[in-house]
Amino acid sequence: MHRRSLICILLVLCLVLSGCAVRTEPPNDYAPDEAHRLTVYTSHKEEVYRPIVREFEARTGIWVTVVTGGTNELLERIASEADAPRADVMFGGGVESLEAYRDRFVPYTCAEAAHLQHQFRAADDIWTPFSALPVVLIYNRKLVGDGDLTSWSDLFDETYRGRIAFSDPSISGSSFTGLVTLLAAVGGDGEETLRRFADALRDRQLASSGAVLSSVAEGSDLVGITLEETARQRIASGDDIDLVYPADGTSCVPDGSALVKGCAHEENAKRFLDFTAGADVQRLLTNSFYRRSVRDDVPGAADIPALDEFALVDYDVPEASARRDALLMTWAFLLGGEETGT
Amino acid sequence: MRVSFRGRLFAAFLIVSLIPLVISSALLLQVFHYRMTATSEREAQEYLDHALSAMDAAAEGFVRVRDALRENATLRAALTGGAVSSTRVYNELFRATEDLRGYANFEIYDADGLFRWSTQSLPRIASLPTGWGALNAAAEGDGETIPFLPCEEGGNGPLLRGAAAICDSHDEIIGYLVIQMYDAHFRALYDGRYGAQNDLLLLSPYWHGVYATEAGLADTLAPQLRERLMSGATLNVADELFLYTVARQESTGFYLVLRQPEVLTQNTMRVLYTVTAFSALICVLISILMSFTYSQQISEPIRRLEGAFSRVELGDLDARVDNAGAESDELSRLGTQFNGMVEALSRNQEALLENQRALDETQIRMLQAQLNPHFLGNTLDTMKWISKINKVPQVATMSADLADILRFGISPDELVPLRREAEILERYIEIQRIRLSDGFTFTLDLPAELEDCVVPKMILQPLAENAILHGLEGVENGAVAVTAESDGKTLRIRVADNGRGFPDGMTGAYRERNETLARGHLGLYNVDMILRKYYGEGSGLYLENPKAGGAVVTAVLPLRREEAEEEC
Repeated sequence: MHRRSLICILLVLCLVLSGCAVRTEPPNDYAPDEAHRLTVYTSHKEEVYRPIVREFEARTGIWVTVVTGGTNELLERIASEADAPRADVMFGGGVESLEAYRDRFVPYTCAEAAHLQHQFRAADDIWTPFSALPVVLIYNRKLVGDGDLTSWSDLFDETYRGRIAFSDPSISGSSFTGLVTLLAAVGGDGEETLRRFADALRDRQLASSGAVLSSVAEGSDLVGITLEETARQRIASGDDIDLVYPADGTSCVPDGSALVKGCAHEENAKRFLDFTAGADVQRLLTNSFYRRSVRDDVPGAADIPALDEFALVDYDVPEASARRDALLMTWAFLLGGEETGT
Repeated sequence: MRVSFRGRLFAAFLIVSLIPLVISSALLLQVFHYRMTATSEREAQEYLDHALSAMDAAAEGFVRVRDALRENATLRAALTGGAVSSTRVYNELFRATEDLRGYANFEIYDADGLFRWSTQSLPRIASLPTGWGALNAAAEGDGETIPFLPCEEGGNGPLLRGAAAICDSHDEIIGYLVIQMYDAHFRALYDGRYGAQNDLLLLSPYWHGVYATEAGLADTLAPQLRERLMSGATLNVADELFLYTVARQESTGFYLVLRQPEVLTQNTMRVLYTVTAFSALICVLISILMSFTYSQQISEPIRRLEGAFSRVELGDLDARVDNAGAESDELSRLGTQFNGMVEALSRNQEALLENQRALDETQIRMLQAQLNPHFLGNTLDTMKWISKINKVPQVATMSADLADILRFGISPDELVPLRREAEILERYIEIQRIRLSDGFTFTLDLPAELEDCVVPKMILQPLAENAILHGLEGVENGAVAVTAESDGKTLRIRVADNGRGFPDGMTGAYRERNETLARGHLGLYNVDMILRKYYGEGSGLYLENPKAGGAVVTAVLPLRREEAEEEC
């Protein structure tokens, strides 16, 4: 009896005190309804995704929630959220990465498919290409003579041994593409080529793809392997580097976007894919982002060679994706093995 | 769990002092908070209304400029390649934008998005993409509203860009009017319209930050607010230092967010909580002190009372509670009552002892009286037979009667049936008749239903003796009558004589308590004493002198039956 009355008093006190924290606020009626929402997971840099997303919002009235992160990180998240997907679209990431997670996506043939260059499309449209990204070699203009570096084979030259900027292919998707391209371009026994390349690197890899550019620009390394887009951007910002399309051939693997399986806003997601493959966005790519359009009706920038003006190796995306784990294992083995030897 | 008296007292004091304190503090805080919030909400609405009306006015002005320039022949001619000097175009442009140039830059771009003319001296942007952003929106739009879009240039570039298409007579787009708002323009627009302590944040229709009166706020706060909006949370979250109020500008769909400092900052709250905590601490201390003092005041007298009780329990009737110096409250009264009670108990004890002593003396006397009674009895029996042999019948009768009386007197029974008592009385009368030579008449009227009721032994004989020896002294034809009656509860045995009656002052309830003074009437004294010792006050002898003459002694005692007596 005594105890119960005490508890009652305490309860009343709690109510009175908790009243302090409660704020009355009308419900938020500015928020969009579900039909006007879209969640985009993107590994693009902000300067790339931001204007595209904003323009998409302004044109469609759809509110976009952007979640950013690294390609593999986001793909992992999509895989882990398979039961209740948060993402509607994965925007960005090399198509090899998207290919590796193809069971988390559904094929979608976008409205602009007729204008997409055939070599950049997936056979079943499991992903929609965004931009074409040739692998290039870069060199420090002060430390390497003009014309000294022309091909992948030149990387095995003693001059560059230990001074090649190359990021870990298990972390960087573009680096993996570079490694596969190297193998295709050099030809011959793949494992032998890998062993020679590991030797040329003197077992040293960089932690991120961004470090490749900085390392070459600062002169720590003489040459590097990166994507054309990144190289051009750094050149435009005044770095002392130049790029080479290897004479023995390079690859031009696109990055892309994909529709998440079982997503909540599928219609809006499809509109977003249509938009990214549309002429307006593709023109923005070539005009503002140093990228190559995947469309056949958007001309590239005037100061770069067209795709057919340099040698391309035969690059099979699904096959490269399928071989990925085996190749990375071999690479780690070779690199690590040499390391223990020194 | 048993809580000590002091503990309970402490809890009670604590509850009585703390609860009102906490409730009043909380209510005060609530009322304070409510008033402050209401004020700040009203203020926020006023500021937002001001800012919105400024925006409305600017938007209307922009529409006027658009309408004036869209229909302007000089501009159309210049855009379609006519021979129009730049000066004329600038004149038209400046005239149309007369009072609005403080709020935006007005620029003309041609159909390909190339810059042509501007109200600003240094255009930073040489061309705008026609298939993107504002120009695209203007080309695709309905031509009525001016689409405004946040700019992506960053740095010191424009923050907001609106565009309107300029068409020729065939509705072909020949150029664009571009309205660009920079940081300075927004400052001019909102100046003095949001309060010194507050900040204003302009959000696009999709809640992206466009401009904020505090540098950098548009990039940091806008994403947070947008996230709250999208996640369905309220904009104002607890523990934040600011309050946000939102209003929508209808013609452009942009949102204004007013950021106000929280009315009760954490510091203020901390001070209030500290004050409350301090007051609570004082309450606790006072409660401890009060409970200690009061429990002392109550427990000390109780302890003294308890001590006195245990002394009494051990038989010390001299135990008293010392009330000296105590306050005159319920507890000291309890002590006084206890003292009175113990005193009464002690008096009773003494009276009891006194009674016991009297009883003991009587018993001693009775023992003395029993001295060798068997010898007397046997002697009397011998005397009876000798007198029978010697033909002296009176002596034989007297000896037999005396022996019966003697045996009755020394028998161990203290209570006897009234029947037996009457038989012994008759023996005694027989002896007295012989002694007094039949000088009186004796009648005994004993109702049959009263024969078996029990009375103390030897109470009738002394009464009869008193009547015969004192009442009938010197009276001719004396008469003694013994009657018994009962009302069901009380037994009354009357012994009446027709003698000279009791002296004055002796009638009524027998009052003599002193044995020595009662020497003359020792029989009456003894009987009265026996009755009262057996049955308590209310029983005893009553003396009276009836009007018809003589004296009556009535023995009053409770009516008890033989079997009832056995039960006792």
